[in-house]
Amino acid sequence: MLAVAVFWIMAVLAVLGGLGVIVSRQPIRSILSLVVVMLALSVLFLLLSAQFVFAVQVIVYAGAVMVLFLFVVALLGPGRERRGGRLRFQWWLGSLVGLVFGGFIYSMLQGARFRPPQHTDLSTFGTVQEIGLGIFTRFLYPFELTSVLLLVAAVGAIYLSRGGRVGEGRGAAADDGRVRGEEEPHA
Amino acid sequence: MPDYGQITIGGGTLSAAWFLGLAAILFTLGAIGVLVRRNPLIILICIELMLNAVNLTLITFARQLQDLDGQLFALMTMTVAAAEAVAGLAILVDISRLREVEDVDELNELKG
Repeated sequence: MLAVAVFWIMAVLAVLGGLGVIVSRQPIRSILSLVVVMLALSVLFLLLSAQFVFAVQVIVYAGAVMVLFLFVVALLGPGRERRGGRLRFQWWLGSLVGLVFGGFIYSMLQGARFRPPQHTDLSTFGTVQEIGLGIFTRFLYPFELTSVLLLVAAVGAIYLSRGGRVGEGRGAAADDGRVRGEEEPHA
Repeated sequence: MPDYGQITIGGGTLSAAWFLGLAAILFTLGAIGVLVRRNPLIILICIELMLNAVNLTLITFARQLQDLDGQLFALMTMTVAAAEAVAGLAILVDISRLREVEDVDELNELKG
C-alpha cells in the first residue's frame, strides 16, 4: 500500500513540476520546476528497483546538468519573454498539437498487453554490480562510444565558449599579409 | 491470461501502465513546451523534460520484463542528454555574445 501512495504522490509532483516548466515566465523558475520533476522521477526509479539509475539521476541530472543551466541563466541574465510576437496563435496551436499527440499516446496505451517477464533474480536487480556487469560485457561498445561523445561535447563547448578568438586572430594575420603583399607593388 | 503488467513492490502492487501513462503526460508537456515557448533556454529545458520521460518508460519496461538492458540504455540516454545540454548551452552563450536572444524566431540567418 505504501508503494501505491508513494507512486501517486510522486506522479502528482512530477506533473505539477512539468506544468511549472512550461508555464512560468522566468527561466529560473522553469529550471527549478525541472529539478522537482527530476527528483520525483528519481523516487519512481527507486520504486522500479533501479538503485544505480536513481543515484545517477540525482547526482548527474538534478545536480550537474541543472547547475549548468543555472550558470547559463546567471551568465545571460533573467531574460523575460516578450508577450505576443510573430505567431499570434502559437500558444493555442502548440497546445492543440501537443494534446492531440498526447491523445495518440493515450489511445495506444489502452488495451496494451505486456510480454511475460523473464525470471531473473530480483534481489540483485539494478544493483551497481549488475549494472557494471552489463556495461562492461554486453554494452561495452556503446559505453566506449558515449565516452567519445562526451569528449567531443567537452571540446566543442570549450571551442564555442572561447568566442572564436582563435579564428579571428588567424584571419586578421592573413588579412595583414595579403594587404601588405598588395601594397608592395605600389611602393 | 494473466496480466503481466502488474509490478509487485514490497507489499503493494503497481501497474506498469500507470508509469507509462505518467511518462506520456510528461513527454506531452515537454512537447507542448517546445512548440509554445520562445526562449531558447526554456526550449532546451523542455527537451530535457522529454528525455526524462523517455527514461521513465525505459526503466518501467526494464522492471516489467525483468531485463536489465532497459536500465543500461537509460544510462546511455543520460549521457547523451548531458552532451546535448553542454553543446546547446555553449551555442546559446556564443550567440548571446553577439546580441540578446529573446526569441528563437530571430535566429534565422545561419551566420550567427
